Amino acid sequence: MSTVNTSMAEETAAPRANTLRSFNFSGRFWIALVLVAFVILLGLAGLVYPTTAGEKVGSLYDAPGNGLLLGTDNFGHDVVAVLMAGTRTSLIIGLVAGTVATTIGVGVGLLAGYVGGWFEELLMGVTNVVLAIPSIVVLILISMSLPESTIWSLAIVIGITSWPWTARAVRAQASSVATREHIDVARLSGARLPGILLKDVLPYILSYAVMAFVLQVAGAILAEAALSMLGLGPSGANSLGTQLHWALAFQAVASGAWWAFLPPTIILTLVSFGFLLLQASLDEVFNPRLRRGKRKQMKQAAARRVEEARLLAQQAASEPAAGPPEPSDRARAGEKA
Amino acid sequence: MTELGSRRLPGGTTRRRFMAGTGALGGAAALAACGGATGGGGQNGGGGEELVGVGNNGMAGKGRSGDAADQLFIAGFQWSPPTNFNTFAAAPAWPASNNVAQYVYETLLRFHIVSGELLPGLAATHEVTGNESITLTLQEGITWHDGSEFTADDVLYTFELGKIDEGLGVASFWTEVDEMTADGNTISIAINKERKNVGSVLTSLAQQFIVPKAVFEKVAKETDNKIASWETDTAIGTGPFSLELADQTQIILARNEDYWGKDFYKGLPPMTKIIHPIFKSNEDGNLKFQNGELDVMQQFVPQIWKMWEADKPVGTYLQDKPYFSPGSMPMFMINTTKPGLDDVEVRKALAHAVDYGSIAETAMSGYSSQVLASLVVPDGAEDAWLDRDKAEADGWAFDAAKAEEILQAAGYAKGDDGFYAKDGVKLGPWKLITPQGWTDWNAALEIVAKNFQAIGVDASTNFPQQAQTSTAFQNGDFDMGCWSVAGTNPAAPWQRFSDVMSNVDMAPLGQTAYRNFGRWENDTVNDLLETAAAAPDDASKKEAITALDDLYRAEVPAFPLMYRPDEFFEFNASNWSNWPTEDNDYAPPMFRGAGNDWLFKLKKIGG
Repeated sequence: MSTVNTSMAEETAAPRANTLRSFNFSGRFWIALVLVAFVILLGLAGLVYPTTAGEKVGSLYDAPGNGLLLGTDNFGHDVVAVLMAGTRTSLIIGLVAGTVATTIGVGVGLLAGYVGGWFEELLMGVTNVVLAIPSIVVLILISMSLPESTIWSLAIVIGITSWPWTARAVRAQASSVATREHIDVARLSGARLPGILLKDVLPYILSYAVMAFVLQVAGAILAEAALSMLGLGPSGANSLGTQLHWALAFQAVASGAWWAFLPPTIILTLVSFGFLLLQASLDEVFNPRLRRGKRKQMKQAAARRVEEARLLAQQAASEPAAGPPEPSDRARAGEKA
Repeated sequence: MTELGSRRLPGGTTRRRFMAGTGALGGAAALAACGGATGGGGQNGGGGEELVGVGNNGMAGKGRSGDAADQLFIAGFQWSPPTNFNTFAAAPAWPASNNVAQYVYETLLRFHIVSGELLPGLAATHEVTGNESITLTLQEGITWHDGSEFTADDVLYTFELGKIDEGLGVASFWTEVDEMTADGNTISIAINKERKNVGSVLTSLAQQFIVPKAVFEKVAKETDNKIASWETDTAIGTGPFSLELADQTQIILARNEDYWGKDFYKGLPPMTKIIHPIFKSNEDGNLKFQNGELDVMQQFVPQIWKMWEADKPVGTYLQDKPYFSPGSMPMFMINTTKPGLDDVEVRKALAHAVDYGSIAETAMSGYSSQVLASLVVPDGAEDAWLDRDKAEADGWAFDAAKAEEILQAAGYAKGDDGFYAKDGVKLGPWKLITPQGWTDWNAALEIVAKNFQAIGVDASTNFPQQAQTSTAFQNGDFDMGCWSVAGTNPAAPWQRFSDVMSNVDMAPLGQTAYRNFGRWENDTVNDLLETAAAAPDDASKKEAITALDDLYRAEVPAFPLMYRPDEFFEFNASNWSNWPTEDNDYAPPMFRGAGNDWLFKLKKIGG
């Protein structure tokens, strides 16, 4: 952290005109964005699709055709409508569970990493214990003991069982941030603990928290699918997992009804692939070391930097010498610890 | 799989592909097929002679070769490794488990699910005198598997065990029977003079396996009369097969060459062994069945017609939907102690709200006929007791608009949340329970929940484990749900009316009830039940049953969601033919009771 890339410093001194370009979104990012957007649109399309998921339009496993793009499921419902409703439910569960898990994980990690000492030992001890228990087992046990299973209860259960790894990673980052000078400044100026955590520590690991959140959402969608496939899913609601559950229960695989189990499987794959790709490409955006780009772009950038350096040198020569630019926080924040 | 083996090898396929084919199919039978393939393919099924009792598409296989050609593969009765063959234990392994196929143990009488008759079993004749007594005459020359002679003492002792250990199921026999005595080969049973329930006694006689006194006398001594706690890996019975091997993967029964019934059944069964492979899931078994590695089974197969449409020699008793003859009715139980559900108009509205056609078509895969508003199973053995016209005229059918009309007429009004309520009593939220993994019932309740929501009654499904569900029903700790009541048996439909409506020994909420889980209360039902049980002749019995059915329709303490076969009976004629079907109805489509008839009459297809 102490060494600051000089070219970086020069870049900040001479910002480029195209801000969007400066984010350096890679091709991966756009692919991921399209995938995620597609899934979200699919979930929203259910709101305008003519048939609802609960409407019986055919018999048990009617093959695709007759105006039904993907045939019917075991209840005689339109698979497309069920898929749209299921995607929506799965996304809602993923977002809620992801929010819960990330909030708990970041909260615990921040506190442990910043406060340190026995408090850190205690929190991390708890975290490690929770981490050591296979979360799917805990998930199944909690879901079974719930008197009623709704999408909200399921989301919260998934959220409170999947936070530990976020907590661990955030703690490592927070304890690194805690040793920086500006924290001392904040402390000397009388800021309280919550203020310091939120205003002086959190912003530095926000990029990491966002990526963790994306991962948590993808994980929660998969966890919901696993639970629902076991029959512990939300009652009275369609999700991608319950769709697979009924396909399994009514032996869609054996009876060759591919339209009952393939669509939810594909959407699940797209969702988790899309989110993982999004996370990886966000990582590239936030962490300049991981930045990749087309060779042409890189050459252009290199040429531009040379040009900028030349201009800067000219400027420096024509004006009285100003001090070298301070290694700014922005530069440091961009560089991941 | 035999077909694949014998078809491919002479067809000039490479060895690798042949190996891949058999390897994928796996199992002992596959090896047998290899041996057979080199010995020349099987005969063309139905080539010369006309085979009967084959697949619904008229097809038959070519027969397996090797040892497997003489073996019958059966499935659907045992799902975990067999641990105990004590027929009185809580969960004995097949075929020692209660009221299953009579391969090792046998019963005195055998119930025929199509005709409703009681056929002779270990007892050659049975004579019912009014509703006072039953006289049985035992068959001649019956022996146990260990060679010892079977006597009337064994019969008496088997039922006596119900007095020795009152925790056994057979103990209930003595609530209906005063005395059981033997004179030589003749057994007389004096029926309880107050209860006069001949049907229940006959049911016990048709379901209770007779066990050897010599063995169980010792057991009673060893276990201090706790017969159920005894564990054993042997089963000495009188049946045509004896237990040969039982391990984690299969149960093998070997033919008893000295079977007493050689003359009675006109010969020994054609198969030397019966093998029950133990599968982890329905799907494993169904796949093996489709491939002809299983001959007969009672697993649930959705859309079984796809198998014969795919040219597999698979068949069922009925050629058309519902393919299986109905034998039981999964019952939608209503806890009549809950506010709202204690109102008969609400129960009637709920009965009108359910889309029975949808349930039969999707949840039951079309294996159920149209549900009638009656506690009598239509078609089959019980049909004689059904007043179909009344059931159609006074009953209910799916009509959501009518359901709402009934609610409105009863003074219920829709609240802001879209659910009906009256005097502060909201209809719901209610939970509909049934055990997790009972897929057809799970699906049926999903449909019911949607139907209820559609008419403005708040309901959602909840699927606990089986043990929890069972306790919830018995203790009255439920709102509504799907549960089983008596299937077709010699005491049906009386038994079912008793299960659903009886007010005898009403258990309060929180205590274990054995019938009427909905705690429905009525002053007249007990008298009606008594009259029906003690009816001296068929005409008065039908009258009494109809009176009960009328009361049932007026009060709706519960209602059937669908019909289900007593046992699914599916066969694959790839190795054996002459399976019982509607056109070849020498035996009923069942495994228990009279279902052992077909065991002796199957014909081997291959050479």
